Amino acid sequence: MKTTATTLGVIVAATSMLALAPAPTVAQEMLGDGMTVYVQMGGNPGGPATLPRANGAKDAARHLGAELIEQYSGWLPDVMVRQFREAVAAGPACIVIMGHPGNDAFADLVDEARADGIIVTSNNTPLSEIYDSHVGGGFGYAGVDLYTGGYVTAQNMLKAGLAEGDQALVYGLLGQAERGLSTRGLKEGLEEGGVVVDYLEISPEVNNDTSLVVPILVAYLESNPDLKAIGTQHGGVTGQLPRALELAGKAPGDIITGGIDLAPSTIDGLQDGYTSVVLDQQLYLQGFLPVMQCVLTGKYGFSGLFTNTGAGVVTPETIGELVPLIESGIR
Amino acid sequence: MRVAQDTGAAPAVRMENIGKRYGNVVALKNIDLEIGGNEIVGLIGDNGAGKSTLIKILTGVEAPTSGRMYVRGKPVDFADYSVRKAHELGVETVYQESSLGDKQPLWRNFFVGRNLTNRWGFIKVKEQKRIARQVLMGAIGFRGAGLDVDATVGRLSGGERQGVAIGRAMHFDADLIVLDEPTVALAVMEVRKVLDFIADIKQSGRACLYIEHTLAQVHQLADRLLIMDRGEIVRIYRQGEVSLDELTNYMLALHGDQEAAA
Amino acid sequence: MTATGRRDVDGVEPDPLADTPAAPRRSLMARLDAIEGLPILLVFVIVLVVFMVLAPGTFLGHRIYKSLLITAPPLLIVGLGLTLVIAAGEIDLSFPSVIALSGFVFAACYRFDNVPYLAFLADGLEGEALQAMKFRMAWLGMVLAVAVGGLIGYVNGLLIARIGIPSIIATLATQFLWRGVAVVVAAGLSYSLRGVKDSAVWQVTSGRLFDWFPMQAVWSLLIAVALWFVLNRHRFGEALLFIGDNQQVARVMGIDVAKEKIRLFTLMGLLGGVSGVFLTAENITFYTNQGQGFLLLVIAAVFIGGTSIFGGSGTIVGTVFGTLIVLVVQSGIVAAGVQGFWNDVVIGLIFIAAVVFHLVVERPERFKGLVFAPRG
Repeated sequence: MKTTATTLGVIVAATSMLALAPAPTVAQEMLGDGMTVYVQMGGNPGGPATLPRANGAKDAARHLGAELIEQYSGWLPDVMVRQFREAVAAGPACIVIMGHPGNDAFADLVDEARADGIIVTSNNTPLSEIYDSHVGGGFGYAGVDLYTGGYVTAQNMLKAGLAEGDQALVYGLLGQAERGLSTRGLKEGLEEGGVVVDYLEISPEVNNDTSLVVPILVAYLESNPDLKAIGTQHGGVTGQLPRALELAGKAPGDIITGGIDLAPSTIDGLQDGYTSVVLDQQLYLQGFLPVMQCVLTGKYGFSGLFTNTGAGVVTPETIGELVPLIESGIR
Repeated sequence: MRVAQDTGAAPAVRMENIGKRYGNVVALKNIDLEIGGNEIVGLIGDNGAGKSTLIKILTGVEAPTSGRMYVRGKPVDFADYSVRKAHELGVETVYQESSLGDKQPLWRNFFVGRNLTNRWGFIKVKEQKRIARQVLMGAIGFRGAGLDVDATVGRLSGGERQGVAIGRAMHFDADLIVLDEPTVALAVMEVRKVLDFIADIKQSGRACLYIEHTLAQVHQLADRLLIMDRGEIVRIYRQGEVSLDELTNYMLALHGDQEAAA
Repeated sequence: MTATGRRDVDGVEPDPLADTPAAPRRSLMARLDAIEGLPILLVFVIVLVVFMVLAPGTFLGHRIYKSLLITAPPLLIVGLGLTLVIAAGEIDLSFPSVIALSGFVFAACYRFDNVPYLAFLADGLEGEALQAMKFRMAWLGMVLAVAVGGLIGYVNGLLIARIGIPSIIATLATQFLWRGVAVVVAAGLSYSLRGVKDSAVWQVTSGRLFDWFPMQAVWSLLIAVALWFVLNRHRFGEALLFIGDNQQVARVMGIDVAKEKIRLFTLMGLLGGVSGVFLTAENITFYTNQGQGFLLLVIAAVFIGGTSIFGGSGTIVGTVFGTLIVLVVQSGIVAAGVQGFWNDVVIGLIFIAAVVFHLVVERPERFKGLVFAPRG
C-alpha cells in the first residue's frame, strides 16, 4: 500500500513538475520567412508623408520575418510605374503599390505580376478596378477612403466654427485620377455646409517640394482678406499652413484650417491653434497593414482586405497625447 | 599711296579708299593698297594702328563703312561678302590662335566648313583623310614628327599648328593668304618653321599678307612693307630699301609722335 | 592645280603620288583606344556583374533586362539628343517639359472626344466607329506631338542663338513655361488612354516584336545609330563639334553658328517629342508631371557615358551605356536591399566615380595632380 501511494505520489509530482516547468525554447518559425516584399513608399526618404509609412512597413517586416525593399518615387506616377516593372523583374513574393498612376497604367502590369505568382496589394490611393479583379488573389487596400476622408475633414471644419456664406479656399489635386477624390470630398462637404468655396490646384513643383507653397498662400491670403477657412488634403501643404498664416499676419483662430497627416510642423500648428482640424491617415498603418497582407496571403492564401485607415480627426484638444509618437515618426 | 605692280597680272587684292568707323571712332581711313599676285607683303604698326581691322575687312569678317575693294580684279559687294565668300574668292586667313579646333583630329580641321560630302551631307571621310594625309604629310612635311591625320590638333606644337593652317589655306587654292601675327608666343624652332611655310607660299605662286610685330623677321622676308599708324598707311618700303636699324628707328619715331600727341 | 596644292610654277606638274607617305600602322592599344565606348562598356559589364552578385534573384533572371528595354528608351532618346547639345557646348534643361506637353498632345488627340475644343469631331460617332476614329486621331496625335516638341526646340534655338540668352538660363525658363502650359491645357488632369493598345500606333511604337522584344527599344536603337552617323559623319555633326570646341574658330571657318544652333535645339525638341510619345504610350496614361524625374537621370547618363562637359566631343555609344548603367544602378541598389535613405548617397558616389574616371582617361595629367602633391 505504501509503495503504491509513493509511486502514485511520485508520478503525480513528476507530471505536475513537467507541467509547471518552462517549455523548452525551439527556434520559432516566422510567418514571413523567406518572403521579399517591395513597398512603394511614395515621396522621398524621410519625407513627412512618407516616413511613418516606411516605419510601419519596416516594423511589420521585422516582426513577421519578411525582407523589405523600399521604393521611393518622389510622388511621380510615371516613376511609380517604372519601379513596379523593376519590382516584378526581381520576382519577389509580394509588391505593394500606390494608386496614383491609375488603373489603366497598372492593369496589364498587375495581371502579368499575378501570372508570375507575385502577390500585389495597395495603399494610400485606391485602384478600384484592379481591386475588383484581384481581391481574391490578395489585392487589398489600406488607406483612407478618400472621398470620405475629405468629407469628414470638411464636417469637422464646419463644426470648428464656419457659418453659411463664409469664404473658404480649397487647395488640392482635383486633377489626379483617384487622388482627387479626397479634395472633392472636402470641397463638397464644405459646400453642403453653405460655405463659398474657391478652388486652387497644386502645381507639380509644389507637389514635389511643399515649402514652395508658402508664398503662394500668403499672396492668396493678402488678396482675399475675408477668407475664413483653408482646406487641403495634401500632407505637405498642411504642414506649411501655420507658417503661411503667420507670415500673412493672421492670429491663431482667425482662419479655420483643415488638413491631413501629422507632420512635426502640423503638431506645432495644432498646439498653437493655427491648425484646427487634421485628418489622420494613420500612415503607419498604410505601411504596416499591406506588408501584413502580403505575408498572410503568401502564407495562407487569404484574400485582400479593405481597411479604412482614416477614421478620425485630430484637433488641438486631442494632439497632446500623440506628440511623442509623431516626433518619432510613427503617427 | 599706291605703288604700281610690275607683274602685269591682276593684283590679288586692291583696296580703294577703304575706311571704317565704329560710331565716332575712326579705325581706318584712306586705305589704298594693292597686293600683287605673287608677293609677300608685311604689315606692321603699333597696337591700335588698325592692322586687325584691315584684316577683318579683307577677309570678310566685317564690312567697311566706305571705300571699294577688288579681289582678282573683280569688285566686292560688301553686303554679300562673308568669310565663306572670301574663301570662294581665294582669300584665306591664318589667325594667331590658328583657327583650328584643338579637340578635333587633323583631318576634320583640314576640311571644316567645306567638307567633301555626298548628296545627303554625309562626309566622305576616307577621301578627306587621304587628301589631308597627302597635303600635310607630303607637302608640309610632318612626316618625321610621327603624327597621323587622326591625331588631335591639341597634340601639335605651335609651329606645326600654323603649318596645318597654312597648308589648309594653300590646298584650297587661295590666291591670297593672310597671316595675323603667326609667330606670337612660339619657340625659336617653331618660328623658323613658320617662316619657312611663309616662304613656301610665295614659292607656290601665291600672295601673302603678313602682320608681324617682330621687325627682324618681316624685314627679312617681305617683298614690301606697309606701315600703319593711327588708321592710315603711312609708309611703304620695298625689300632692300631700308635697313633693319633704319626701320626700327622709324617705328620708334612713330611711337614717339603718338606719345607726344597724347 | 594638283592635289598636293602645289602650283606648277615652272610649268612642270609634280608627280601626285610621290611624297605621299603610307598611313602608319597602329598598335593594338591605339586601335582599342579608337573603339568608341570600350571603357564605358567595361564599366557596364562590371556594374552588371556586381549586381548579379548582390541581387542574383533579379539580375540572373531575364525579366529585368526586358524591363530595361522598356524603361530605357524614353530616357535614352532625350539622352542622345542631349549628347549632341553638350558636344556643341550647350545644355538643354527643358526636355522634361517637352515630354509632358508632347505627351499631352498625343493623349488629347486620342481622347479627343473628351477634349472640349476637339469634341465636335466626335459628333455622330459611336462605339466601333468612334474607336476607329480614335485610332486615326492617335496617328495624328503622334505626328503633332513630335511637331510640338520641334516647335519648342525651335523657340529655344531662337532664344539662344538669335537673342543670345545662355542656354542654361533659356532652357531653365522654358522648362517652367512649357510644363505650366501642359498643366493648363490639361486642366491639371491626367488622361488615360484606355483601349490604345489595340491601335496600330501603339503596336508600332510600343508593341512587342516576336512577342517579347519591345518596339521602343528597336526605335531607340535606330535613332542611336542614325545620330551616331549624324554626329560623326555628317557636316552638321562636325559643325556642332567645332562650335563646342571653339565658337570663334567655327565662325571664322565659315560655319553659320546661329543657324546650326537653331537646328540643334529643334532636333532636341523633336527627340523630346518622340520620347513623350513613347512614355505616354507605354504607360497608357498621360500625367501632368511626367518626365519630371528624367532631368537628373538623363544628365547623369550622358556624363557617365563619357561626353565631356567642355564640349567639342560627344559619344553616342557612351550615352547608350550610360543610360543603361543609371537604370541598372537605380534598380540594383533597391534590389540589393540598400536602405532607402542610402539610395541617393550611393547613386551620387557612383556618378562622381564615373565622371572622375572619364576625366582621368581624358587627361591623365590631372590624375597625377590628385595622387601626388605638387612640388614647391
